[in-house]
Amino acid sequence: MSDLKAGLEAYLTDLWGAPTSVSNLSRIPGGASRETYRLDADTGGVTRGMILRRDPPGSLIETDRRLEFLAYRTVHGHVPVPQAIALEEDGGPLDRPFFLMERIDGGTVPSPFVFDPYAEHAAALGAQFFTTLGKLAALNHEGTPIREVADAPAPEDCWRIALDHWSGVIEADEQHPQPIIRAAIRWLYRHPPPPAQRVSIVHGDYRTGNFMHDGAGTILAILDWEMAHLGDPIEDLGWAFDPLWNHFDEGKVAGLIPHAEAIAIWEAASGLTLDPEALAWWSLFNAVKGQAIWTSAAKEYRDGGFADPILAISGWYTARRHDVILARRLAQLEGI
Amino acid sequence: MTPALPDILRGNFMCLAIPAPVESQGEFMTGRVGVIALLSLLAAQEVERGTTARVWENAAIAAVLAEAADVYGVQYAEVASVEAADLSLEALDRANAALRRGLIALHEAVETAGDLLRHKMIVGLYGQMAERRNLELPPLPAR
Repeated sequence: MSDLKAGLEAYLTDLWGAPTSVSNLSRIPGGASRETYRLDADTGGVTRGMILRRDPPGSLIETDRRLEFLAYRTVHGHVPVPQAIALEEDGGPLDRPFFLMERIDGGTVPSPFVFDPYAEHAAALGAQFFTTLGKLAALNHEGTPIREVADAPAPEDCWRIALDHWSGVIEADEQHPQPIIRAAIRWLYRHPPPPAQRVSIVHGDYRTGNFMHDGAGTILAILDWEMAHLGDPIEDLGWAFDPLWNHFDEGKVAGLIPHAEAIAIWEAASGLTLDPEALAWWSLFNAVKGQAIWTSAAKEYRDGGFADPILAISGWYTARRHDVILARRLAQLEGI
Repeated sequence: MTPALPDILRGNFMCLAIPAPVESQGEFMTGRVGVIALLSLLAAQEVERGTTARVWENAAIAAVLAEAADVYGVQYAEVASVEAADLSLEALDRANAALRRGLIALHEAVETAGDLLRHKMIVGLYGQMAERRNLELPPLPAR
């Protein structure tokens, strides 16, 4: 028996107060910031399908697993997400911090780098994807679990907090000078966006590749809430619209629906009107944020002994794609 | 740029050579092999174009710095004179790092001075640098 399986059985037996056995334990791809495993837990003849998210020795993004756990708890019932079951911050029998969620079966999560993954269901999925994002923007977060760990910034401070954070990550992790990113950061500080119309829960990584669908036109779950925070909801919209996620189709955002259609759906669901000036700022910001994540990935790849190829792809291919995206956006903003 | 090509190829070797724990075999390892295959494809592009892109970028940045030295200071001419010791990617990247640091400093000075013409020229250079370094992923079919 593996140490992980034994550790899970000990933990769940203690959690539920009844002998529990674990079967079909298998690591699954994705989740570059946490190790993700599928398992079945059997207690007294009742089998529960579960997902384990465990901190790795090194990760793509330094995130707080409590925040992710509480984000799932907060949005459950409002947004399609699996139910969060248990959080263990000191690692207990699994050595590293982890949390457990219910497992949603029967779905698929396409890679963001494949062609036309949604086919004839793209329009239906696009409507759900941007309706869900609009509902998230409209969700009242006062008194919800996420507020235990996430402060609500003032509307006029959302952009600066986000930009200070991600430019600080680049400052800390950069291994080779990045003039394009530096120029974009200076542009963002010189041209602040309008204040947030509403301070909302921001998913932080809302994009294709982070939702599960049933293959027949229905979204089953929005995943990977590890970068959730409170801020300007247009941050998520700008990230979802980033060309990196368009599945090689420049006519659609996220490989789903045309840009204007996505905005109309989001506005209807959120009750907000999108300011093009704000979207332009958050779009450039998101390319910088992406570069911060890829810069950290490159550093982690090196520090971790070049062992995780996902970190190599992130620190290499996606970094260079985002350099192209950033350079084009800067040129557009400067009228070149 | 990081990570360097030798790092990636050595990393690929280690990923495949070190046995995975039993729970990480199957679907996870299948996905990992797919990522390693993509890295190999991108590595081929880097071998084909990487040297040319770096030689071009180093020369282009050096030209901008040298041209600006009369206005912004002799330190930019000094940086512009940095040359790679040889045509290895490592040597080209070492020179590139010095040149890029010079370009960042120059661009900040240009923005402070409100030198719009030179600012737009540098932003245009960024576009060329990014395009020449770009790696192309083929549109893989969804499974």
